[in-house]
Amino acid sequence: MTDQQRSNTPKTDQIGIITGGSLKNNLQARLTVPSHEVQEGAFVVAGGEKDRWLFYGLITDLRLEAHDPRYAQEDLGRRLSPRLAGLLRAQTLYTSAEITNTLMMEPGPDPLEDPEGYETWFQSVLTESVPPQPAKTVPLHHAPVRLARAEDIALIFGKEGEKAFFRLGDTLEQGHPVCVNLDRLVQRSAGIFGATGTGKSFLTRVILAGLIQHDKTAVLIFDMHNEYGPDDIASDTGLHVPGLKGKFPTKVRMVGLGRNATIRGARPDYTLEVAEADITPEDVLLLAQELNLRDTTATTLDALRASFHGTWFSEFKKMRTNAFVPGDDGKLEPAPDSVQAWAESVGVHGSAAEALHSKLRRLFNAPYIVEQPAANALQQMIDNLDNGQHVVLSFGDYETDLDYLFVSNLLTRRIREVWEKRTNDFRGGKGAPEPRPLVIAVEEAHKLLNREMASQTSFSTIAREMRKYYVTLLIIDQRPSQIYDEVMSQLGTRITGWLGDSDDIAAVLTGLASRDALRGMLARLQPKEEVLMLGWGVPMPIVIRSRRYDNVFWEELLQPKTSSRKTNTVFDGLDF
Amino acid sequence: MADHIEIGRLLRSETTGFVFGCKLDQIDSPSFGALVRVRMDDHYQIFGLIYDIQVQDDGLVRQLITSDTLANEAWLDTRGNRTVPVEIGVLALGYMLDGQVSHLLPPRPPLSLDEIFLCTPAEIAAFTGAGRMGYLRHVLRDQDKPVEELLAAHLKQARDVQSAAGNPAWFEAALEEVIALLKDDYPTLMRVLGAVDELELARDRQSELNGRLG
Ligand SMILES: Nc1ncnc2c1ncn2[C@@H]1O[C@H](COP(=O)(O)OP(=O)(O)OP(=O)(O)O)[C@@H](O)[C@H]1O
Ligand SMILES: [Mg+2]
Repeated sequence: MTDQQRSNTPKTDQIGIITGGSLKNNLQARLTVPSHEVQEGAFVVAGGEKDRWLFYGLITDLRLEAHDPRYAQEDLGRRLSPRLAGLLRAQTLYTSAEITNTLMMEPGPDPLEDPEGYETWFQSVLTESVPPQPAKTVPLHHAPVRLARAEDIALIFGKEGEKAFFRLGDTLEQGHPVCVNLDRLVQRSAGIFGATGTGKSFLTRVILAGLIQHDKTAVLIFDMHNEYGPDDIASDTGLHVPGLKGKFPTKVRMVGLGRNATIRGARPDYTLEVAEADITPEDVLLLAQELNLRDTTATTLDALRASFHGTWFSEFKKMRTNAFVPGDDGKLEPAPDSVQAWAESVGVHGSAAEALHSKLRRLFNAPYIVEQPAANALQQMIDNLDNGQHVVLSFGDYETDLDYLFVSNLLTRRIREVWEKRTNDFRGGKGAPEPRPLVIAVEEAHKLLNREMASQTSFSTIAREMRKYYVTLLIIDQRPSQIYDEVMSQLGTRITGWLGDSDDIAAVLTGLASRDALRGMLARLQPKEEVLMLGWGVPMPIVIRSRRYDNVFWEELLQPKTSSRKTNTVFDGLDF
Repeated sequence: MADHIEIGRLLRSETTGFVFGCKLDQIDSPSFGALVRVRMDDHYQIFGLIYDIQVQDDGLVRQLITSDTLANEAWLDTRGNRTVPVEIGVLALGYMLDGQVSHLLPPRPPLSLDEIFLCTPAEIAAFTGAGRMGYLRHVLRDQDKPVEELLAAHLKQARDVQSAAGNPAWFEAALEEVIALLKDDYPTLMRVLGAVDELELARDRQSELNGRLG
């Protein structure tokens, strides 16, 4: 063996050496281990402990290479004895890996030689006084490349149990914990994507539980399918899935829609009814598709508002259609309380007004829309959110898109207005307290944030203004391509499971560097419980195995002190 | 000493190699691929590898071959007393100065009539085991020579010596070095490895045979 080869033989976790690359593109490494020991998406570190910088990136491609293509083409095993063939292969055939060059950081003190110095330094990294920086240079030729150790991951993604770091899953190869910073996660709107059955709802439960336990943010969940509040049964495994209400009985308030709402047979903490006076023409326009409204609708609604102001909905509802009375001349004319009569009086098209009236019948008949709600549930929800509680609005039996769109948008609009006012008061120096950050979680987000709707819903306003008013969204969706691009590009953190559709993949990756590399990774995720985390909210993209939502999760979350994970994960990863 | 087999004397030399001559009846000892040394003085000797053995003709041989009868005496006389020596080409591989082996080319070539010796197993082990097999590059340099055959012959000799000296790993390390040196030259490397494979096969057959006999 030559000296050169000797120095290349892997020391412990080394997998290769850097052989090329550029800042604009990826790095290339020649592997010194068999190709099968490394997988796409693996988190690797390039550079030696004595080097000026350590570089952090992901393996995005593996290629079989030959010193001369003829060595690869020839079936060496047939031409030479096994020993010779083996020796020849070892020197002429190899695997090269493509590695993204994402972050760089100065190496800290050696944890073995100077544990105290290391710990101090590690803390300064966690508090971001010495943060990892975007890679602005490249590693040296032949810099060693190794798989990331637990402490590398903790340096970049944070350490579980410290500050706002919350374990969302583990790395694929070695199962090192990967955390998100919950405070950062809610600073901008976030999205959880994936085809059906990839584990979106389960992962959302994990995140929501983390947020609730972390207790810095109020959470409002529009629970379209009654998944988050009450206990549930997993459709595939038949196992019991605990809901948030059962685990946080006082912190989580369950709100049912409609006076007699029951949620999976149980009574909610209180019920919500929508006051007719709270409905604006915009709330109706939003339902254009659902109600199949015509182009004339806006004019009619404007006229209604001009005539009746805040009570337009009630007044319109009370009007009769096709009601005629004999006039002075004996001819039939529209009854005074009819749509037709009102239309004539304000100069809008009678038949358009009639058509709108009949189309709004679904709303007129919705039992949860009442003239006088029994209680001011909206105020109660706001109070709950103020008092460190969290609200799950269950739609109960109102599972149609119409109900979901109408109620969630109306509530969000009202709540956002409150937060906006509070923010202005706070910023206006009137001594008002800082508003509590609020996260609104919505399933099937594309129904509220699609291209047609995006200009009208309060959701897209929230997504676009980021967290100017202390409100952000957590959107959960199967079809990211159907969400308006402008909203997608505003999402701080994107967490995505497997997606089959190329449009969906492209949508999730909009606006990100190294899209091409990530696209491949995304397409090859396991169909379940593996996600790619990316975007502003995470230091760099990474593929993780989602944290399991099960009893162990709840034990760890609710009694972190006795949890086995409490031990020093930084040193766990080291081979002493 | 009986192991110090003198096999001839130097005819002519240059930096990269030399040619020595021996009598026709001495020719049993030197063989293709054998390691030899030239003793220059007590401190300095040059090592080389036999790559060529040439028997030249002369007028007498031509005459004898064309005569109808070849008398036994004439045959013996020609073999033993010819004035034209057998010429043996040697590739310089390195030298030993004050007991230190170097795989660089010798600083001075040997001089006319210097004595050439066949290396003993101990000398072979010392020369081939020193350093990092740098001498192999000299063997591979001159592609006009039958490099693959030469290497195969040398590797066989050295492998046997090194194994007997308790260093069986030597052979694999030598092969790695050969591959490293030749991997840019696919056709030559494949020819060399093909020849080495012959060696391996021959050894396998031998041990199989021994196994059957024993
Ligand atoms: N983190 C997890 N912990 C435990 N089980 C999980 C996890 N993620 C996924 N699963 C399993 O995968 C199944 C599907 O997950 P989930 O219901 O979250 O999918 P989904 O992406 O929300 O699908 P859909 O789009 O149809 O709502 C679950 O029933 C559960 O058995
Ligand atoms: Mg789901």
